[in-house]
This record gives sequence, C-alpha cells and structure tokens, in this order.
Amino acid sequence: MAADFWASYQSKQLLSVEEVSRVAEEDLELGLTLQDTRLIKIAMTTYMRDLAQQAKLRQRVVATAVCYMRRMYVSKSLCEYDPRLVAPACLYLASKAEESVAQAKLLVFYAKKLKPGPENGAYQLEVKDLLDMELRVLEALDFRLVVYHPYRAAVQYLNDAKLTDVMQTTWSLLNDVYRTDLPLLHPPHVVALGCIHLAAFLKDRDAKPWLEDLKADMHAVRAVQMELLDHYEQYANIDPALTAAAMAKLPIRTRAART
Amino acid sequence: MSDLVGAKRYEKGRTLGEGTYGTVFEATDKVTGRIVAIKKIRLGKYKEGVNVTALREIKLLKELHDPHVIELIDVYPKKKNLNLVFEFMTSDLEGVIKDRSTVLSPADIKSYMQMALKAIAFCHRKWVLHRDLKPNNFLIATDGQMKLADFGLARIFGSPDRVFTHQVFARWYRAPELLFGSKQYGPGVDIWALACIFAELILRRPFLLGESDMDQLGKIFAAFGTPTEAVWPGMTSLPDYIEFVPCPPTTLRQLFPNVSEDCLDILQKMFTYDPRKRISAEAALSHRYFSTGPAPTKPDRLPRPPIRASGDNDAQDRSPVVLSPAHKSRRISFPNLDTNPQSDGGQPSTGVRRAATGGRPGGPGFDPMSISDEKGRPMLNSVDKSYLRKRKLMMDLALQESEDA
Ligand SMILES: Nc1ncnc2c1ncn2[C@@H]1O[C@H](COP(=O)(O)OP(=O)(O)OP(=O)(O)O)[C@@H](O)[C@H]1O
Ligand SMILES: [Mg+2]
Repeated sequence: MAADFWASYQSKQLLSVEEVSRVAEEDLELGLTLQDTRLIKIAMTTYMRDLAQQAKLRQRVVATAVCYMRRMYVSKSLCEYDPRLVAPACLYLASKAEESVAQAKLLVFYAKKLKPGPENGAYQLEVKDLLDMELRVLEALDFRLVVYHPYRAAVQYLNDAKLTDVMQTTWSLLNDVYRTDLPLLHPPHVVALGCIHLAAFLKDRDAKPWLEDLKADMHAVRAVQMELLDHYEQYANIDPALTAAAMAKLPIRTRAART
Repeated sequence: MSDLVGAKRYEKGRTLGEGTYGTVFEATDKVTGRIVAIKKIRLGKYKEGVNVTALREIKLLKELHDPHVIELIDVYPKKKNLNLVFEFMTSDLEGVIKDRSTVLSPADIKSYMQMALKAIAFCHRKWVLHRDLKPNNFLIATDGQMKLADFGLARIFGSPDRVFTHQVFARWYRAPELLFGSKQYGPGVDIWALACIFAELILRRPFLLGESDMDQLGKIFAAFGTPTEAVWPGMTSLPDYIEFVPCPPTTLRQLFPNVSEDCLDILQKMFTYDPRKRISAEAALSHRYFSTGPAPTKPDRLPRPPIRASGDNDAQDRSPVVLSPAHKSRRISFPNLDTNPQSDGGQPSTGVRRAATGGRPGGPGFDPMSISDEKGRPMLNSVDKSYLRKRKLMMDLALQESEDA
C-alpha cells in the first residue's frame, strides 16, 4: 500500500490546524493550556524516540507511534489517557503494526529505566498497564493502523531533483516534523516537499525551479515550512521546567501508583 | 439506536467454527438486521496483548474494500477478547471442491478462478501479499460471490527494504521460490498458490501433496520437470537451494487431459518457475481463457455448495476421501518468524537488510529508517536552527513568489 496513500483511510482524515489545536474540556479544567499540551506531546515524542532506541526499534516504528499518539489526542484528553502510558503503548502497537514486534516485558523494563519527562519519581509502569492501554489506544484509533510517512517520497524527490547533497538536512527536518502535528495535517509527499525546500534553502541550493516543474501545490508546501519554522522559533530550546509544570497538572494513573 | 455499540450491537447465535486463534460465532447485527460472523480472539494469553496475526488482519482489512475481499464490519473489545465482525459467509471453496455431489463445469471453474484472481489483483494493486491462499480461505456468500478472507499472514510489500519469512502458505500451495528459502519474493507467490487452487478445482483433489518441504519440491518437479538455471535464472543462489535429480517434465496435457487449450495455457503461465516471468493477476484476468467460451458462470448460478452446519469447524468430517495437510500445524510457523525483534526490528539484521537491497536510493550504507544507525536520525543542529530563523523572512518572500508563479 506504500504507493496508495490516496486510497487510504489516512488520506481521508487529514485535519485542519484548528482541529489539532483544540484542548479537551477535561484538560482545560485541570488548567492545561494549548502550550502545555504541545510541550507534553513534544516531550512524549522525545521519550518515544529514546525508548525506541533503547529497545532497538526501527525509526519507522517511532514515526508511526508518534502519529498514533498525536491522532489520539485529537479526540481524547490527556488526563483521561495518560501520555506516560500512551507513549509506550503507541510504541508497542506500532512495533506490531510495522512488523518488528517489541516484547511488552522489555519495553516496560526500559520504560522503568527511562522515566518520561523531567519529573515523576512516583511513576511506575507495569506490563498490565501497557496491555490495557494498548487496547484503549486501538479503540481510540478506531483500529486504523496504516500510516504513511514522508521519508521514502523524500528520497525519490531528492534523487529526481539532483539534490542528494541536502539529504541529511532534509532528514533532520523530517524527523523534527514528528515533533509537530504536521503528519496529521498534510499528505506525506507534501511534507517531504516542504522539508526539501527548507533544506535546500539552508544549504543555499535552489529547489524552486524543480518544484515549479513538479507543479507541486506550493500553498501546501509553504504551509508545511511555516509550521516547521514556527516550531523552531517556539520550541527550539524548551525550558524543562515548563514541561515539568505542564506534566505536573496531570493526575498519575498507573496501576502501580494507585496501589 | 446510538447506544447499540460494541457488544450491545450484536445478538450472538450458534458457533460456526474454531480457528487457530479464536472461535467464530454467528450473530445478528441489531442495527442493520444483517447476519454476521463474529471472530472472538482471546487476548493476553501470552502476555503480549493483541495477537499480531489478528492485528495484521485488522490493519489490512480496515483499508481493503473490494467486492471480492471479506468485509470487516466492526471491531470491539469485550472482557478478555477482541471481537472481529465479518459479513456472514455460507461456505468456502474447500467445501465446494470436496463435496462430491457437486459437479463443476468448465464455466463454473472459470467463474471461481475469475473471482479469485480479481481478489488477488485487487490486493496486489494495494501492495498487499496475502500469503495464505488455499481453498478454505476463499469464502462464499449467499449470493454466490466468492471473497478472500484470513489476512492474518498478509503483508504490505511496497517497501523494497524488507526481507520476509518464507514460512508462509500451507505447504501444498507454496511456490518453489519459498521452498528454496527466498526472502525477497513478491506477488508471484500468491499466483502460484492460485494455480494450485485452479488445478484443485479441475482435479477435485489437492494437486501437489507434499509431505515435507523437500517432498513438496519433489512433487512440483515431478509434475513440471526439474528447473534449470536457464529456465529460472538465480534459482541456484537461493538460500535453501539444493540440487535435485533431474526429472523430465510431464506435459501439462497429461496432467489435465480434459481442459481447453486456453485453460492449459493460463495454467502454464501461472505455474511458471521463474517468479519474474510468472503471469500477474492483472494479466491473467485479461488472458483469453476468460474472454473465449464458455463464459464464466454468473455467481448466483454457481452450484450451491453445502451450507455450513452448526459446529462444523473442520474439514475432516466432510469427506473421507481427501486428506488435509496437518490442518493446524501449518500455522505453527506463522507467529512472528519475521516479526520478532531478532530477525527484523533488532539491529543485527539491519546490515542484512541493507546488503540485500544494494541499489536503494540514498546510496549504500544509508539506511534512513534504522534507528540503530545514528546518522539516520539526527536532529537539526542549533547552528542550522538559528540560521533558519534568520532566513525565515526571506524565505517567506521567496515562497510567495513561487506561489504566484
Ligand atoms: N465470515 C464468516 N462467515 C461464516 N463462517 C465463518 C466466517 N469466517 C469464519 N467462519 C467459520 O469459522 C471457522 C474458523 O474460521 P477462522 O478463519 O478463524 O479459521 P480457519 O480458517 O478455519 O483456520 P485457520 O485460522 O487455521 O485459517 C471457519 O472454518 C469457518 O467455518
Ligand atoms: Mg482460514
């Protein structure tokens, strides 16, 4: 299905900026702001990446897992679906969906070693928590698990544009895309083009003639870039205290912590 | 009506059968009044949450919608089970083949094969390999339409960087490249299996009944002759290749004395040794076998297969004449052979993957999706970041230009 994004469910559920920028009622009541929710999701993205590295999971699993998490919170609240549980559960689910299954026990082992976020000494995750959350995540995602990513398209475009020298930079940008809600907003090939154009700029290469030839939707490509640039502007250097403060607003919901 | 969700939506009925990873029940959908089949999958049995096979099936069927693919109507968890709701099917192709009171005309066989090929052509268009084709995975609806089911072994094959397990398919339907241990196979494996089903429809018994993988190869070679490097270039370099005593081919005509020339020709093309030369599902559908007479029987005119009886969960009580392969043992191989971290997600295999895919874009050694490869996942460094911020305005303008252009 790699080449079949447009027939996929994902293509039918691209969201608007407004839709991904809503804070759930229950979260507002706990005093969480839009900024808080963004910080938490960024922290969780980093956490998933680190956890995956420990558990030796492929990059693709992380990318898919982050998309699951971000998609979930479009309709679910952070307080009802504790991100510290959701993050490893999404990784676990994505490892299955992407055919490189992680062991639940192992993931929990690393999750215990690697605490999510800068606080939470009381936080403990058990296998049971992970498996319970896996099911809740599945339900929240309406069991739709296929996710398309921009990496492959980017490689093809870069080859086509003879811009392979900006491959590394494009890659860095693509990885940072997952720190934003961009994967929910635009089709993967548009995300790829946005990153390529940005990367070309950074390295003083001109991708414009090629993009024009491609008849790409420049409006969308531009939107991707602006979103990324906004992200760098606001979240390039996050004060850990801010993230900690945001996380502290969430109740702790693991089994172990309750008993 | 809106509270009729999850388990509350269905009125459970009799048991339809027992699968490898769960029981199947008949039920009535209270919302639509439709009869459905609910596959109940036990969770957490191995402390590994949702069964990977079930998850694969859910993942793919949520995306595959076609008249010849079984419809997954709903999924809901209940207690320690995950329930998959499918459209109800009255029987399957195995039932048709084995029922000795059913006579299949050449037109009937053509009809079944056309539906089977349509199902597979659709899957392949969507970059999905089924990998478990056999008569009992083609289910038959009340209106005679045949639909492909059981996607628990299916895989997306769009990613050229993936190596697959060769432990797929029930043995009798396994393509020679799989038996030789190929890990980079493609849609041809499904075509070979369909060819075996084709032969089985004609002969009314399984065609190549190997008793072991080795014996399976022997049976294949006895039928079509031992292939040489000339007919199948690359064969001798397959991982589990072993030399067989050369065996001359039987002519296809000897094997299928009563079929038409067109039928023989399409069979030959589907049973081609070299997977690259084997006919595709799409091409098979436009083969003249389907355009010359007799026309395929309309599905609702096909001979009625025996309706499943309550609790008839397996083949052995249907026909004493035909032996089944150890029915469940074929499944022993499936769980995660290609999905456990050792052979796939773990780092030791990345080198293998990379080596195996040589000419990928990005050049050798560039494995972007591998997290164990540090340079695959760098973050933008801070110099770049501040540079970016500075150039943001400029870029904005430049972009506006290109947008106007
Ligand atoms: N959609 C359906 N409609 C009616 N009956 C069904 C349906 N799906 C499955 N069944 C019945 O339930 C039985 C079990 O199905 P299931 O697909 O779980 O396993 P199977 O195909 O028999 O075996 P395996 O899991 O080894 O492939 C089938 O043999 C069939 O009799
Ligand atoms: Mg089956």
